Amino acid sequence: MSLRAIAVRQPTLILLAAASWAGLLALPVLRHAPNRLLSGHALGLHSLGWPGAFAIAAALVLLGTAFLKPSRQSAWIALVAAAALSIGITVASGFAAITLAIGESDTARTSFGSGTWLVIITGLLAEAEATRRLALKPWARLLIVLATVAGFAIPALLGWLDQLALLREWQAKQETFSIAFWQHGEIVLSALIPTLLIGLPLGFFAHRSARFQKPLLAGLSLIQTIPSIAMFGLLMAPLTALGEAAPWLRDFGICGVGLTPAIIALTLYALLPVVRNTVSGLDSVPFAILDAARGQGLTPTQIFFQVEAPLAAPVLLAGLRITVVQTIGLTAVAALIGAGGLGAIMFQGLFANANDLILLGAIPIVLLAVAADILFRLAADSLRKRTS
Amino acid sequence: MSRLFNRRTLLVAVAASSLALSSLSAFAADAVKVGSKLDPEASLLGNIIVQVLNANGIATENKLQLGATKIVRTALQSGEIDIYPEYTGNGAFFHNVDSDPAWKNLDAGYKKIKELDGKDKLIWLAAAPANNTWAIAVRKDVADANKLKTIDDFAKWVNGGGKVKLAGSAEFVESPAALPAFQSTYGFKLSGDQIVVLAGGDTSVFEKAAAEGTSGVNAAVAYGTDGAIAALGLVSLEDSKGAQIVYAPAPVIREEALAKHPEIEKLLAPVFASLDAPTLQKLNGEISVDGKDAKAVAAAFLKEKGFVK
Repeated sequence: MSLRAIAVRQPTLILLAAASWAGLLALPVLRHAPNRLLSGHALGLHSLGWPGAFAIAAALVLLGTAFLKPSRQSAWIALVAAAALSIGITVASGFAAITLAIGESDTARTSFGSGTWLVIITGLLAEAEATRRLALKPWARLLIVLATVAGFAIPALLGWLDQLALLREWQAKQETFSIAFWQHGEIVLSALIPTLLIGLPLGFFAHRSARFQKPLLAGLSLIQTIPSIAMFGLLMAPLTALGEAAPWLRDFGICGVGLTPAIIALTLYALLPVVRNTVSGLDSVPFAILDAARGQGLTPTQIFFQVEAPLAAPVLLAGLRITVVQTIGLTAVAALIGAGGLGAIMFQGLFANANDLILLGAIPIVLLAVAADILFRLAADSLRKRTS
Repeated sequence: MSRLFNRRTLLVAVAASSLALSSLSAFAADAVKVGSKLDPEASLLGNIIVQVLNANGIATENKLQLGATKIVRTALQSGEIDIYPEYTGNGAFFHNVDSDPAWKNLDAGYKKIKELDGKDKLIWLAAAPANNTWAIAVRKDVADANKLKTIDDFAKWVNGGGKVKLAGSAEFVESPAALPAFQSTYGFKLSGDQIVVLAGGDTSVFEKAAAEGTSGVNAAVAYGTDGAIAALGLVSLEDSKGAQIVYAPAPVIREEALAKHPEIEKLLAPVFASLDAPTLQKLNGEISVDGKDAKAVAAAFLKEKGFVK
């Protein structure tokens, strides 16, 4: 076999595979602590027992595919191996946690070590990379995402992960968690409605008037530079004063803490991507097409709704995607001014020095943002197919 | 895709946003808005207030874990919440009278803040007989080896060249009422390299550093009613000379809310009276060490003591 035959064909994959091997061999796979406040001692790969061997096998296959000639077949193998690696190490950790919990006090906790986190993340990235190579249709990509989610959800539902520290935190806080989860969604949606109601018309006018466009976009960009915690804090004082000056406003929920300042701050941040993309979407409509529409005798309203808006939609959708993802993340900070949401769980964990509680708040925020990103990308892809 | 922009969608959006607004205002004006700070003890006491009121037929609006002291206090003053648990000693800072010796005594401090806040129509209800003040906790092995029981022992040990490294917050180190008060009362001085200042307001961060000996830390700033001290293998040293301000937890309520539901005072008094330091430490420990939900811990406590059936 010549050296060329085993040359690295897929640098991204080999990087990810190598990182996951580093996670498996060099870093602690699990941490076992007498209670949730202490860091506990680190456990290596051997602590996973035979289910760990499954993860190693998947990591071997993944590494192997990096040396294969790039083809659809090798991409599929890499995809399956990467998913099996992420899910496999999670399940193996779950089993190990069950074994460790036997005969231990109820306060003892087993959590993922840095190695397991690295393996899960590199596995998922390798899966995404393989999916990208396959250049699948939107529905097929959605199916792969759903299958991966099921791969994590089914072992969790079967109780195989029940003894992991993250799940223990969830069990203790189920009610608080589900309230916070829906609250988070509610805050994001409540901020999106005013964002669209204000942002779309603003973008439209900015597109029509160049004199209006420059200061508007400059102002909105300036808002982005204000740190979010400062913004939430700054809004408190004037809103509280407003509520005191006109108490009837409080009946509509206008007050210095809670939802009102959160929605105002989030809307202010969300306006830039919406306005900017509305402007550039409308700007991207070729003049010749508008001319032709006018030539056909369409009224300005007809031109806007039947020509400009549909052609600008893909760019606008991209702006909306950025807005939604950004708002999901920023909403976490809103917990500091009493708006609740998943950030409240995160800050609770931060204050109680309980890392797994921080993760219980942070991971769903990440997942929500990723889910929104995937959905908007899929929508944009199917839209592009239809309009082209 | 032009459908995204047609007028019907716009109408639906307007309808949805007005619905969202009206749902915000849907809370009954009569409900007592209960707030709390973010830390475990605050959520415990907040949940206790909510559950006692609910069990006695008083509707509440849950605004627990609203934010840090400044946010919760501002919310109470402006009527965005009606009641929340606060510490008597914080009155020293609310009213800028921290040099007054009254704060170092539970009863005198309580009377003082009741009087000062009463002028602002904020009523302090009966306080718990516990003191969640600044404390210094050391590793048990260090305490045993050097026979440390009180801050006085600690001061002698430090002055005799004891190898101490204390983890704490910037607030503890700088606030004249905290570390400087300990130092002047007991006659010792910690140098810069004997102190590790960590970010974060909660003492469990410092306690964890001492328990695990991170960067050689063997002592931690703690609060009197912390639940994690024993679980982390630390010993809290007694403030035998009373150097610190007393921080007794008590519900503070707006006068107008109390006027609507005067029975709240009598409902909460026996509950807070039962919350002595060992009880609070045990309940706080269930939240911070065992990871139980504050709501469940509050419910179990109220049921066990017979305050709620």
